[in-house]
Amino acid sequence: MSEPILEMTNVSKRYRTAGGFGRRRKGFLAVDGVSLRIGRGEALGLVGESGSGKSTLARMANGLVVPTSGTVRTDGQDVACLSRRGLRRLRRNVAMVFQDPLASLNPRQTVRQTLANVFHAHGEATSTAELVALLESVGLDADYLGRYPHEASGGQLQRVAVARALALKPDLIIADEPTSALDVSVRAQILNLLADLQRDQGISFLHVSHDLAVIRLYSDRVAVMQRGRIVETGPSDEIFRSPQHSCTRALVEATPEAELPA
Amino acid sequence: MRDPVLQVEDLSVSFTSGGVTTDVVRDLSMRLDGGRTLAVVGESGSGKTITGRAIMRLLPRGASARGRIVAAGREMLSADERELRRARGSDVAMVFQDSMSALSPYLDIGAHIAQAVRLHDPSVTRRAARARAVEMLDRVGIPEPADAVRRFPHEFSGGMRQRAVIAMALVNRPALLIADEPTTALDVTVQAQILALLRELQQEYGMAMLLISHDFGVVASAADDVLVLYAGRQAEYGSLRDIFEQPAHPYTTGLRAATPRLDARLDSGGKRTRLRAIPGAPTSLRDAGPGCAFAPRCGLADQVGERCVVEVPLPTVRPTNEDGGLHLAACHLDRLPALQEVAR
Ligand SMILES: Nc1ncnc2c1ncn2[C@@H]1O[C@H](COP(=O)(O)OP(=O)(O)OP(=O)(O)O)[C@@H](O)[C@H]1O
Ligand code: SF4
Ligand SMILES: [Mg+2]
Repeated sequence: MSEPILEMTNVSKRYRTAGGFGRRRKGFLAVDGVSLRIGRGEALGLVGESGSGKSTLARMANGLVVPTSGTVRTDGQDVACLSRRGLRRLRRNVAMVFQDPLASLNPRQTVRQTLANVFHAHGEATSTAELVALLESVGLDADYLGRYPHEASGGQLQRVAVARALALKPDLIIADEPTSALDVSVRAQILNLLADLQRDQGISFLHVSHDLAVIRLYSDRVAVMQRGRIVETGPSDEIFRSPQHSCTRALVEATPEAELPA
Repeated sequence: MRDPVLQVEDLSVSFTSGGVTTDVVRDLSMRLDGGRTLAVVGESGSGKTITGRAIMRLLPRGASARGRIVAAGREMLSADERELRRARGSDVAMVFQDSMSALSPYLDIGAHIAQAVRLHDPSVTRRAARARAVEMLDRVGIPEPADAVRRFPHEFSGGMRQRAVIAMALVNRPALLIADEPTTALDVTVQAQILALLRELQQEYGMAMLLISHDFGVVASAADDVLVLYAGRQAEYGSLRDIFEQPAHPYTTGLRAATPRLDARLDSGGKRTRLRAIPGAPTSLRDAGPGCAFAPRCGLADQVGERCVVEVPLPTVRPTNEDGGLHLAACHLDRLPALQEVAR
């Protein structure tokens, strides 16, 4: 079997909190001894209630958050042991897409500048043709190169954010609630775009969402988080057909169905 | 026949800025009886919140409403300030998505509810109002209510805060509750609890509810009737059953096909299926062209031809499965093709 693109072993993160007593003095254990792996070309969905540690876990996968203990390996390499050059390579291989596209883009930069900067940061030149091709791969035309963030809709901005993530041909994209801020009809467009990237370019995904129905449709496997731990994991079909853990069951039961009540 | 709790006729709302007036809501009509829930569904900018606020006469600066709104027997658009103050809270109340914005950070939870009680009936003593607050917090499921009245908004979790806001809105038993995305900011398990609570209180008080939501899942679990808005106009109106079983507007079917369902994969025998997206992005009435606002995104516009881009479709009566039910759709097509044919 080939090396997984991401492997986390017994990873914990404790956030320090100022002053306080008891639990507070020891800090807050946001992620508590989690192990998980994502195979090449696989989409793993991470679900759980707010505050369960999903985003912290996702940010440890690309080095944005440093774990308190445990190891994170991407592409077989221990992230903690990476040299500066190695870290730079990690940033290329693992890209991130966030929930709020407007907040994640610089309001004073055109789309062209935003995209070109990604290449510059990695010491690469780029041509207009390349940038146009990049935009086209996310379903936007060349016209968008000259636009500022406030001149585009939420869905269009999220496409720009995806284009930025794709710029350096990553192996893994970590998408933290990439469609929660979008309208229903536009959300489906972005989800289908991400699914195309997985299918056509073999990109792996760690897809964080509070929406079980989205994860069910767009992930191969699912991990369910509760209070910093993964309480259940497996193929998404199985997990949602017969949830074993009480937390998963509660989430499944509470999810409203867009169907007539029986 | 009883008078409806809410009757809206040809409501339009416009904004004026820099001497230019533009409509954001056009020609909406609806009727809602006690004990029933009408869901208003639509995407951002479709005019859901503005409609709710127009009914309360709580419009932002620069906005004005035309048409007719009768809520709990009161003509809301011609009522004077004194009448409106009396109506708000006692006859009609509104709950917003962001519970924090409805609460003052400097007042404890009890003071908020007591204030609502005394605004409605100034003869109630402070102590009695405070006691009502405790009762009401208990009723909405807040544990240790006698202690909770002394807490401040920021000490509550999002779900608890939404319960407190509901307590505040319902303490005077209004005939109509307008709930604007009351659960959007909450976790699914908390969302389910809040929806159940609203349903329970609605039955107990016989209250009418206008539930504003962008989520067809929430709508399906809570509504009796549905109003689908697109770019400030009514796209479709009907019973929940008609909307689901025989939708008559392409936007309604499109919105549903774009909504993920938890059991979707079971239906397809384990194959990865995808959502059917609607191309383009939602527009507001302001940016809509002369014809049907949905035309640039509609897969059926080609079938109809030029009419879609030059003439605004008006709501016309459609078949219904309900006894005496009203089913309307604003589309130039008399009948939609079967759902499979809509796919492209
Ligand atoms: N204060 C305002 N000044 C000018 N235009 C406004 C104002 N508030 C809302 N609008 C416009 O009115 C239209 C309807 O807005 P509304 O807030 O009712 O939409 P909504 O359906 O509630 O959307 P969302 O789902 O995003 O809450 C939009 O085009 C919006 O831009
Ligand atoms: S009127 Fe035309 S464009 Fe509008 S929804 Fe009907 S078919 Fe589509
Ligand atoms: Mg709104």
